[in-house]
Amino acid sequence: MIRASVLAAAVYLAVIVQEFIPALPFFGDARIVLVPILFCYGALLFPFPGVLALALYCGLLSDLALLQVDGEHVEIGLGWTMLYYVLVAATLQIIRRFMPKRRWETHCLLTGAVTLVLLLGQYLMVCLRRGSLIIDADVFWQVTGPAVAALLLAPLFYFLLALLPRDAVARRRGSRSTASS
Amino acid sequence: MKPLHLVLLAVAAVIAVIFMSFSPGRMKAWQGRFLDVSTPALSAGAAINDRISKLNKGLKTLDELEAENAALLAQNNELRAAGHLLGDLNEENRRLRESLGYRERSAFSLVPAAVVSRDASSWWNSITVSRGFSSKIESSQPVLTAEGLVGRTTTVAKDVSIVLLLTDENCRVAASVEGTNEQGILSGQRVAGSTTPQLVLNFLNRNADLKPGARVLTAGVSGAVFPAGIPLGVVKEFRTRELDGQAIIEPAADFSRLEDVFVVLGKK
Repeated sequence: MIRASVLAAAVYLAVIVQEFIPALPFFGDARIVLVPILFCYGALLFPFPGVLALALYCGLLSDLALLQVDGEHVEIGLGWTMLYYVLVAATLQIIRRFMPKRRWETHCLLTGAVTLVLLLGQYLMVCLRRGSLIIDADVFWQVTGPAVAALLLAPLFYFLLALLPRDAVARRRGSRSTASS
Repeated sequence: MKPLHLVLLAVAAVIAVIFMSFSPGRMKAWQGRFLDVSTPALSAGAAINDRISKLNKGLKTLDELEAENAALLAQNNELRAAGHLLGDLNEENRRLRESLGYRERSAFSLVPAAVVSRDASSWWNSITVSRGFSSKIESSQPVLTAEGLVGRTTTVAKDVSIVLLLTDENCRVAASVEGTNEQGILSGQRVAGSTTPQLVLNFLNRNADLKPGARVLTAGVSGAVFPAGIPLGVVKEFRTRELDGQAIIEPAADFSRLEDVFVVLGKK
């Protein structure tokens, strides 16, 4: 419960803080997105119902922060990022048994992949709405830059969040498994 | 996957789809509420950001501050004198328009606002400014700096508003080139580096004789969001395409250093 509350607060803070982080000049002026880093951490930590709740929460806050409503024109409306995170949660649930769960490397790679697909999906949707597809070096950097930045920042977040005290239930489970072994 | 998990997954997907089915107006209302709730956090973030940028710039000495103050006072006096002169000209203009039977122009007023934050997305160019509907700001109102047009308001919350920047591909402005009859539609580019944004002026005459350095202003066509005569930028390059001419425009406003802007109130 402690980690869930802290993660929920951290996601809200991340949505605000990422608006103040300047673009990365060495990554083609790409912006840093922090929410996928936190979502992926929660996705590896929580049980499936918790991951779904986190997916809806992260998606809603991201959508509200990024929404551009121009008169009656909306390119990516509310709900799309929510759906994307829900699909990621479902995919992780299916492949859970094949991947090492609480390892920083898993979190790091997952964060990079989730950010990359999220930005690529957003860009394709924007292109679809505007009726033309442009692919050049700027687009490449705007998609891969934030993904690489998220991948590099992920271990920092992983170890910071790992410092949080574990819940009583998780502690009991942990001690039981140690006793049985 | 367990049956219970499948049910939960379906419920989560349905919730997302419900949000997707919202009308643009309803989405705007949700975003407005989110901005209202987040205003204290955004203001705190802006204050911290401001302090950091001031620290980066370095502290000024007393002599430097005095020199700056003297320069600002001189500029203030100059602007006041120019204001008096323009007031007389405005009165004269009003009398002449009246005598010719022209419709009186609507009065505009400017509301100063500070830039709170910049949109973190890669695909849209927008900023959040520190004024909302409590300062009589509505959506689709022009936003400018002393140098030129910056953009227009979209979502307006109580104390903050989102401004779609001129550098965004979706922000289109009817523009004219000073000293010519050329008119076109100015917009930003889909993906451009945030530090050196450029604008494009499309639908120009193929044979237009546009020289680099020519000023581009808002055309102020009937029913448009932007009044006529606001500087947009200068022509950097002109190229002919199959059906029309296109000019690359260097923006008048410095989009990499937006700190204070003005929202234009009043009828267009």
